[in-house]
Amino acid sequence: MTGRLHKIVFTGVAGAGKTTAIAALSDRPPVNTDVASTDPALPKTRTTVGLDFGEFVLDNGDRVRFFGTPGQERFDFLWHILARDALGIVILCDNARPDPLGDLCMYLTGFAESLKTVPCVVGVGRLETSPKPTLDDYAALLLQRGLVPPVLHVDVRRRVDVMLLLDLLLIQLEADLLSDGR
Amino acid sequence: MNHDERPPDDLAARARREARALLDCVLGVTTVVIATPDGFDIAHARRGVIDAARIAAMGSSISAIGDVVSQEAALGFGSSVTIETASGYVVVRRILRQDRELVVCVVTDPSAILAQVAYGTARLASHLTLA
Repeated sequence: MTGRLHKIVFTGVAGAGKTTAIAALSDRPPVNTDVASTDPALPKTRTTVGLDFGEFVLDNGDRVRFFGTPGQERFDFLWHILARDALGIVILCDNARPDPLGDLCMYLTGFAESLKTVPCVVGVGRLETSPKPTLDDYAALLLQRGLVPPVLHVDVRRRVDVMLLLDLLLIQLEADLLSDGR
Repeated sequence: MNHDERPPDDLAARARREARALLDCVLGVTTVVIATPDGFDIAHARRGVIDAARIAAMGSSISAIGDVVSQEAALGFGSSVTIETASGYVVVRRILRQDRELVVCVVTDPSAILAQVAYGTARLASHLTLA
């Protein structure tokens, strides 16, 4: 195998679209560990309990591997495992949920150690039908936690939206590399 | 939208009896947790302070990951996963009933004999498959 390996983690609430986002990016059929959900509070009948895995190969031979976490807090032991050595973290939020900002807080806490050093981007879904909280509200919350990642509206069914999330991660990585090189 | 329903009370009660029987009858077993495939504890028996809810979530993850690994390796359906440590074993086994799937997670101390634990766990799974 040639090229380097890079790892990007997708996390966020169950139903926000982590599995869909990884499927949109992966060069090959993604691995997923979805099982039947018994939780009536979830807006879907199946849910990830292990991980999602997808991969694409860059033109230079480098491989980017995508890992999706389960969304529910009872699986937080996997969050820590999957975040190890990650190059970047994508947090997906669902604005149609009862407390999207509370959801975000849970992931900021769960990934706090990684977020000290790893670039992050926050994608907010279903803003068109649930406009509150606004992107500014998300940004304000992140700033309170000492974080200033990009926050944007996404529809993860659209590959272009998911690619934009990745681009924003890569821009941060480049900026970090440049500042380290000074 | 139809979710799988949580197991009915009579199945949960049977699961508690089976968990207790395994704990009492097989040397070295310290915890038995029976869970839904999405990681909710429906019955458990234990000695000590292990958090059954955490074990339920971890057991469901291990079971699901074990299944995708076995399928990726062209071994087909994965039915159980065994973790060996210096301090005991963890055995996770799927229970495939006609109406629903469950997962049993068995934790032992170092006195356990793996074959006995594996046999007892398979027997529990068989009982709950037919219950």
